[in-house]
Formats: sequence, C-alpha cells, structure tokens
Amino acid sequence: MKRWAAGPARVAIVLLVVFAVVGCGGGGGVLTLDRIGREDAPKTMTLQLNNSYTHQSSTPTWADGFERLFTKFAEDHPDWKLELKIVPDEQSTQAQARLLEQARAGRAPDCANVDSFVVAQFIEQDALQPMDEYFDQEEIDGLFPFVKDVVVGDDGKLYAYWWATDLRLLYRRSDLVPEAPRTWDELIRAAQEAEQKDSKVDGYLFNGGRWEGTVFDNLAHFWSQGGELVDGQGKPIFHEGQNREYMLNTMEFLKEAVDSGASPERVATIKDYSEFESAAQAGTVAMFQGGDFQYPPLEESLPPEEFKKWEVSFIPTMNQGDLQRTGTGGWTMGAFSDDPEKVEMCAEFTKEVYVGEGNQVTGQLPTNPEIFEQEKKFQDPIYDTFREGLKEGEARPGVPVYPEISNQLQIAIGTVLTGEATPEEALDEAADASMAAYEQQSN
Amino acid sequence: MASRAGAGTTPTVKRALSPRGMLGENRPTLWLAPLLAVVTLFYLYPAFEVLRYSVTNASLLDPDYEYTLETFTRVLSDPVLYKVIRTTAIFVIASIVLQLLLGLMIAVAVNRASKRRLPGMVFMRSLVLSAWVMPGVVIGIVWAIILNDADYGLANLLLGAVGLGSVQWLATPNTALMSVIIANVWRGTAFSMILQYAGLQSIPEELYEAAEVDGAGALQSFWYITLPQLRPILMINIILITISTLNTFDMILPLTGGGPGQATEVLALRTYNVIFQNFSLAGGAVLAVVMLAIAMALTLIYQRLLRSEGSL
Repeated sequence: MKRWAAGPARVAIVLLVVFAVVGCGGGGGVLTLDRIGREDAPKTMTLQLNNSYTHQSSTPTWADGFERLFTKFAEDHPDWKLELKIVPDEQSTQAQARLLEQARAGRAPDCANVDSFVVAQFIEQDALQPMDEYFDQEEIDGLFPFVKDVVVGDDGKLYAYWWATDLRLLYRRSDLVPEAPRTWDELIRAAQEAEQKDSKVDGYLFNGGRWEGTVFDNLAHFWSQGGELVDGQGKPIFHEGQNREYMLNTMEFLKEAVDSGASPERVATIKDYSEFESAAQAGTVAMFQGGDFQYPPLEESLPPEEFKKWEVSFIPTMNQGDLQRTGTGGWTMGAFSDDPEKVEMCAEFTKEVYVGEGNQVTGQLPTNPEIFEQEKKFQDPIYDTFREGLKEGEARPGVPVYPEISNQLQIAIGTVLTGEATPEEALDEAADASMAAYEQQSN
Repeated sequence: MASRAGAGTTPTVKRALSPRGMLGENRPTLWLAPLLAVVTLFYLYPAFEVLRYSVTNASLLDPDYEYTLETFTRVLSDPVLYKVIRTTAIFVIASIVLQLLLGLMIAVAVNRASKRRLPGMVFMRSLVLSAWVMPGVVIGIVWAIILNDADYGLANLLLGAVGLGSVQWLATPNTALMSVIIANVWRGTAFSMILQYAGLQSIPEELYEAAEVDGAGALQSFWYITLPQLRPILMINIILITISTLNTFDMILPLTGGGPGQATEVLALRTYNVIFQNFSLAGGAVLAVVMLAIAMALTLIYQRLLRSEGSL
C-alpha cells in the first residue's frame, strides 16, 4: 500500500471498528448488549437473565423476539434503564448458587431469572421480595396448582412469578406402537413388539445418564405411585416406609426395561434430550420419554410424512388406575431489591416481556391455563394435551438438599442400569449420602 | 572505636535504603515487589482461603460458619472418596503413560521429518497443537458425539463401515473410563509432543554422529542417547501432565457427567459436585486440599527423581 494511502486507510479501519462496537451495543440506543433503556435514563435497575431469554439467545427466533420485546419495554418506560447481566445457559446451575450467595450478602441484582426448583430455597433464606401487590389476584389464582405451591410462600405472598414451564411425556411412533401404553408392563411389551416389527429401532429410550434429567424424568414413576422425596421439613424420606417400595419399584422397572431388551444398555449414557431427536431422525427409536419442548424441533426436523407418525401421550404408570404424574420445571422472575419502585419495575418487566409474550416467543408453556387460550402460538391441538398434562404436574421439591438427592439418585439409577448394584444397594447408598448431606446442611 | 564502627556502617545502610541500593543487581526487592503482590493476591490468598475454608463447616446456604476439623474427618472417612481416588489414579496414570509415549512418537517423527526438511511440518505441528488449545468443554462435547453409543455415533459408524459391530463406549463403567482417558490423551498429547520436540531439538547432533561412527543402530541411538538426554524434559512433562489431568473436570462433565453411576467421577469433578450439588463449601475445600496434597507429593517425588537423574 502506498504511504499516502496508509494513513486514511488506518483511520477508516479504526472508524469501522468504532462503528461496529457502537452498533453492537456500545452506543446510545435503547437496546445494547448490556442495557435495556436509554443510557441517560434517571432510574436504574440491575437485571440478571439467562442468555436464552435475551436478545442474545443462540436461537435466532428467540433473539429476534426478545429484541422486539426489550425495545418496546424500553420505549414504554423511558425513565428506566435496566443494566443487564447475562448468564450463559450452561452455567445456570452455578449462577443460581452464586445468586443465593449474593442475595445473602446483599449484592444480588435487583431482579433476576430464578430457576423454579430453587425458589423455595430463596424464599426460605428471605432473599426474595413479595411481588403480589403488582399482580392482579386473578393472575395469581389462575396459576396451575403446582406453580402456586412453589412461588407462594407460607405467608400467602407471591415471591416470584413463574412464567414458563414444561412437562415430560411419552413420544411414540404410531406405526410401530399404535396404542399408547398405559402401564409399565404395556410399555415394555409395546417396545419389544416394535423392535420385532422393525429390527432397526430401540423400543424405548429414556434419560439414564449422570445428569438432572435422569432423576427429574423418572421421578414421574415414583410420584405416580404416591411417593414423596422429602417431608415438610425438607428431610429426605424417599428411602423410608412406602416411599422405599415406590422408589425400588421405579428402579426395578428401569432395570427391567434394559434387561428385557425394551431399552438398550446405552440409556445409561443418555444425558441430553437431543439424543431422542437424533434417534427419531435416524429412524431408530419407537418410543421415548421426552419433554413438550421437543415437539416443535421434531416437527421442524422430520419430513411431514414421518412427523405424522409421532404421537404423544402421558407417562405410563405401574398400575392401571394410578395418576399419570409428570415432572414440571421452568423459570421464574424474582425481585431482590429492597426498593419498592424496583420491585414494581421487576414485576412490570416480567408481565410485559415474559408472561404470555415470552411464552409466545419461546414456545415454552404458560403457567396459567388462560394464556393457552389467549396466545396464538398455543392454538395447535397438541397444546391441549400439554395443558391437560400440566394438571398432574409436579415440581421438584425446592429444598436445599434436593440437588444432592438428585445427584445420589443419578448415581443409583446409573449403577442399577449397568448392573453394578442391586436396586436395594443403590437406594441404601443414595439414602445414606442424602441424609448425610441433609444433616450437614441442618447443622 | 564505636564512632568508627558507626561511621563505617552508615553509608552501607544508606546505600541499601536508597532507590539505587534497592534496585541494585544484588538487591532486587523493588523489582520483585509487583510479582510478589500479584502472586500474593491471585495465588497465595486464594490458596490460603481454600485452606481456611477446609477447617470450617462453611456452606453456600449459610453465611455463618465455625472453625472445625469435622469436615475433614467426614470427607476423609467417606468410602466414596477412595473409590473416586482410585478412578482418578487410573485416569492420571493412564494419561501420563499414553501422553508420554504418543507425544514422544510424534515428536521423534516430526523431528526426523524436520531434519530431512520434509514439507508441511509447521502445518503438522499446528494441527496437533489445535487439540491442546481447544477448551475442555468443547473437547468433551466433540468426544461425546464421536463416542455416542448409538449406531449413528461417529466411532460406531466407522466400525460399522468396516464390518465391525458397535461398541458401548460409554455405557459400561470400564469402557466409559477408557473413553474418558482416550479423550484426555487426545487433548494432552499435543503439549507433550511440543515439549519433547523441543527437547529433541536441543540434543547435539554430534552425539548421534559419534554413535554412528561407533556403529550404533537407530534403536541403540534412541535408547542410549535420545532417552537419557530427554530425561529432564520427560520429568517436567510428567509433572505437567499429572497436574493438568488431576485438575480435569471440564471435559468429563459434558462427556459422561461422571457416570454411568460414579464410574468416571474424578476428584476434581467430585469437588465441583460437592460445592454445587451439596452446597458444601468446606467439603469442596477439603477435597481441593486433598488434590493439592496429592499434586505436591507427586511433584516432590518427581523432583527428587529428576535430581537423582541429574546427579547421574
């Protein structure tokens, strides 16, 4: 490059970089990488969100949707700027532990995404501020029962707003399994018959690897018998009395699924729901226990004639008459600030961005049956099934010892599936470790 | 006499306290101060905090804690710890042996090729190093895709293509541990190769020429010249592989999560689980101290071996 051209070229490159940075969020627009609202707005609220629920989501449609909602919110509230702290999705577990620690030290953000299954811990630690005066009573009363159980404290106050949920279901290829199995025996039989019809397929896949999904999904089998993980004080009781029998039945069923050939041994390695979608795309699975959130990706990834074969039903139970329970998770918004104005703004943000609108963007299920009727996204008949399933929804107990119970049950299921331990041995070890953790946390 | 002595020491003290004295060649106090500050703030203080938490009952759920040795007793008397230490030992030893051998083989090959000025050696070195610069999480995800136990897993697809059946890479405790070792060796071999390649480059060519004159074959040259000359590098390599493998959990988490059961749960992963599942800050700190003690003990042993090799 000639010397006379080098100077202007450098200036142009610097300007380009500056414009790029400004364009990406360094400037004075109403939405930047780390701010919602104008930079010079007089009031500030700090806001911690999961990456998925922001304009930086890795899912383009979610990113576009939240960009639109955030921009509208900023325009409707010109006096406020919301300073964003975005948590990478894969760090959400650590982020929740850190959030609790920050809240105890009085350094939590004013408003944040709180995982539904830790809300009870946050309430117990007095970390969350009541939000009920900023929501209509109908908005609270209309929530599914399992939602209210979690977000409404013993004092009757609403401590977080749970806006997105999900549930577990049985997916099946109706050409291989025409009738939805109702019991565990029917499920195993149907899986074996499907394998006879098509030697390429695995009859039944489920999460059995070392991760939360393994416990969360399979707890439906325990809950459907009437099992309880913890008592009113949060003490593990899954290994005592009737609960012990229910848990052993659950483990024996999972083991039987593998031993009978209905499920392959590799279920002990499955720790990602996308495994089921991959198997469905490859045409190598007849049934799997997955989440409602897998329905849209399946519809997108399978050719229409293949997708038509897939149907969903509720999770089979041990006995014909048992309730078909299902595990429900999802995310809430909670306020940590002592400033009532910020608590109100947190509630406004939740209502205007996430409740209904956010469900529409993400396709994640609303926690209020009325929203199923209002939002266009949920008019497909499949959502009637999901809404019906949520009536028997059960949230994981929001007690401090739950993560350790889950960790121990993951180990127990893994060792049972690989034959390293009998259900009794595995359950005893899980119980001992969970009780040790509980006692240590209680001291 | 006294006044003479006083008169004699005053200029020395003055010189020592003067900027020139403190910055002098033999008095590097000021030069070292920034380094000391950084080491204290970012290394010693956190290490001290870990030690301090290990003698408490601190939890992420409660701001109050007491000083006690009970956490140490509880963690060290947990039979699961010894199962985890056994898994960690297998993981570390297998990783050391395989990374050293494979690293040495590649380094010798690259060194030979470089001496013969074969083209593409820089590309080859860069390619091997790319495995080392990849974040552990990414490596875990990549190997989870490769070693997927389904027929459509990459490794099983390849086996199927040559007429062999699928392998349950992650579904049984033994194969899962082997798979985790394979992934770790894949990551660490590159660094091992670079170190050994640097060592090979520093061996004087005259030694090989003299050996050739004496009629030594390739194998004898390797055994009597290459290996003895490489010993210090091999020792340093062993120390670095040990430390990095002991600290590995980021790769295992996405690959197996520590399962099936606890088959691939190593000390670092257990530490993570104890803190983030059990919320036990003190328990995690005790495990961190155990890891520190193991790493230090091994390093001291290696150092002693290195010294005795040096004296030979």
